[in-house]
Amino acid sequence: MTKPTTDQAQASPTKRFFVSMLTRDINLADAILDLLDNCLDGALRLADGGNVDYAQHFVKIKLAADHFSIEDNCGGIPREVAKNYAFKMGREPDDDRDSETETIGMYGVGMKRAIFKMGREALVRTRYDEDTFEVPITSAWLDAKGWEPLPINEPTEAGEKLAEPGTVIRVHELYEGVSRHFANESFENEVRTAISEHFTMFLQWGLKVELNGKPVEPVFVEVLVSERADGPAPFVFQKTIDDVLVSITVGLNTGRSLGNDDEDDSGFERDRSSATAGWTVLCNDRAVIVGDKSRLTGWGDGIPLYHPQFAIITGIIEFRSKRADKLPVTTTKRALDTSSNVWLESLVKMKEGMRVWISYTNQWKNHPRADQSNYWEDAKPLSLGKTIAAVALRSDVKKSDSQIEFNPQKAKVLPEPPGKTPSARRIVFSRPVEEVRLVSKMLFDIDDEKPGIVGEKCFELTLAKAKK
Amino acid sequence: MSAGSSLPYRLRPNKAVDRELFLSLLMRLTPALSLEKYHYVGLGGPFLEDFRLVHARLGLARMTCVETEEEVHKRQLFNRPVASIECVHKTLEEYLDSHDFESPAIVWFDYTEPRGITTQIERFARTIGTVPLGSVLRVTLNANPASLGKPDPSELSVEVDGEASGDRAAKPTIQEWRLARFKERLGALFPSGLTVGDMVFKTYGPSLLRALKLAVEKETLSFRDRRVVWALGTHYADGQAMVTAALVVCAAGDAIIEPFVKGWEFYSTPDAPHRLDLPALSTLERLTMESNDDVRAKMAFDLPKSDMGEDPIAVFKKFYRIYPHFSRVEL
Repeated sequence: MTKPTTDQAQASPTKRFFVSMLTRDINLADAILDLLDNCLDGALRLADGGNVDYAQHFVKIKLAADHFSIEDNCGGIPREVAKNYAFKMGREPDDDRDSETETIGMYGVGMKRAIFKMGREALVRTRYDEDTFEVPITSAWLDAKGWEPLPINEPTEAGEKLAEPGTVIRVHELYEGVSRHFANESFENEVRTAISEHFTMFLQWGLKVELNGKPVEPVFVEVLVSERADGPAPFVFQKTIDDVLVSITVGLNTGRSLGNDDEDDSGFERDRSSATAGWTVLCNDRAVIVGDKSRLTGWGDGIPLYHPQFAIITGIIEFRSKRADKLPVTTTKRALDTSSNVWLESLVKMKEGMRVWISYTNQWKNHPRADQSNYWEDAKPLSLGKTIAAVALRSDVKKSDSQIEFNPQKAKVLPEPPGKTPSARRIVFSRPVEEVRLVSKMLFDIDDEKPGIVGEKCFELTLAKAKK
Repeated sequence: MSAGSSLPYRLRPNKAVDRELFLSLLMRLTPALSLEKYHYVGLGGPFLEDFRLVHARLGLARMTCVETEEEVHKRQLFNRPVASIECVHKTLEEYLDSHDFESPAIVWFDYTEPRGITTQIERFARTIGTVPLGSVLRVTLNANPASLGKPDPSELSVEVDGEASGDRAAKPTIQEWRLARFKERLGALFPSGLTVGDMVFKTYGPSLLRALKLAVEKETLSFRDRRVVWALGTHYADGQAMVTAALVVCAAGDAIIEPFVKGWEFYSTPDAPHRLDLPALSTLERLTMESNDDVRAKMAFDLPKSDMGEDPIAVFKKFYRIYPHFSRVEL
């Protein structure tokens, strides 16, 4: 039997461990998106359960070699929240903000992690109602051993005030690698693309996001839906699982259905699918994942691995809940918690939808694209919400109190290739361009007919001979 | 090599000016970089015109001419103007993959094929990290927006200044259609925020250069020993619209080459390429324009504007020093 002594073993985390570990979990672009997430959560709180008018809000982000800044007019941080929660590393159980709003933040690390990821000096200036104050995070504080509270300062000059309620975060003394990235145009392009994809819903609702002075435009993730009741339409599924409303659609994207058969870049080594091909996962209006083509979303897991043949397939799944902890997302908000029940149950339906379109593309594999585009002529690209609304009106949709389901294969609304022969085989070969030109000239009197057509005509010619 | 590129330079005055600009850049760099010790790699066409000029102007001896078509390759061996030119029957990519540069190089990626534009851009960008410091890289890309494909006209709608055809809601305009194809082709290299306005004859070239620049900038993030200094960007059309860009791969801490390049009369970057759109002129017109400040007073007529819509007199004034003058010689 042991007995207690007066000695104690220290068990608190060191600041250095905390800062270096926390920041390793996230990449630089995601850290910026985290800050943008905070702005949007601010806008949601400001509306206090009502509808948010995103057109009233802006977020301005500046990336430069010597500093980073993000500025918004999304309500700011109340002083009590700043004193007790906002700058704590991790969320307190008694922090009951957001129990009634569809925010996405839940761990209370986003802002701190983003700041520590970028540099060693930061200033958070905020105005909530008429109360303006700022919290500096200095390199001296970072280097000090203890977890001293951060000072809260009030403005003394007009230039230190904010014109409207909101928050400005500035980070200085950027790390060398971070500074190189912020000065690099391709990194700026990467961040711009990420914002336009991940925050597409908010941008479509009018939120103004500026990156280095230039507005960010939304990217549209949509699937084709025919207006005719018996016209082709996507797979649709909607159900509430564990307090989370799950909506799924899988269909053809707008990318190539109108395209021609040019074999630009075609071949096994190239995959230039549009970003929106594959799966897009939305959680409370944020796109957590965009255009995923990996095992994560079911590819290669009981269905074929992703392949350029499937570049015309787009899947969209949305999870919606007032309980952020029920959503299948990780702390970085840009990755999925794939062990959650709601995800696993949804994945079954996602794969069901994918199988419909995989067999569709298999059927059409050896037919000219023009043949199928006739069937899609009156189809319009629609977002997830509009797709479900449009398909729910059809007579052959399976509807009950708890769910909506539509399978276009079973409803027999998908076009089939004319004269579909199961015995069709594909012939692929390559010849030097000089020879192709020569044959093209002989057959068509021009030397630049498409190689595929030249080859096909050669085959037809030989076939006619063989049949004699 | 496409059939078009074997046209002689005298039928393509803008391409000739473009080439002169590049040579002029090389001559500007010679004192700083000692280019005569460099290895020049390019596509010579049947006559190896560029090789002759590079050798004549820079005294550069080590040269490699790459050619994919066997008959053209044999013809090059015959036409070879300087004995030290090595002619190889390979693609440029094959040659670069199988070669280690011992000295800095000048590599001209003379792509005329519109297909595989992404592969071309990626290949150019990737080379930044594989050549010795001090190397000069140049790329030519086909900037004809029609090369993105020609949809069936019945699949398109039209819109001009807010007025639109009845099928506007259901069908894309040609610019929208092109933008979708461009995005598809470029994948992750697509410059975020490009719009339909960037997909017409005049603007497609700069859009392509924008993608090129982003790809190169992205590549440089992976190398801490080097950075790139953009030196020359051009956009021209002798029939086919083309864009070019040239850069110098410098040491990360370089302080010599950048001011040298930026002080050059024809310094330009992919963000603002020179638009080479020179008028076809008679000898009398040319001499008049060269020797007079007030050209419009002397020539009481308008020179025709081309597809690029540049003012012919202003363009001539900018480039007259290197504007080629061809005349007929009977042999």
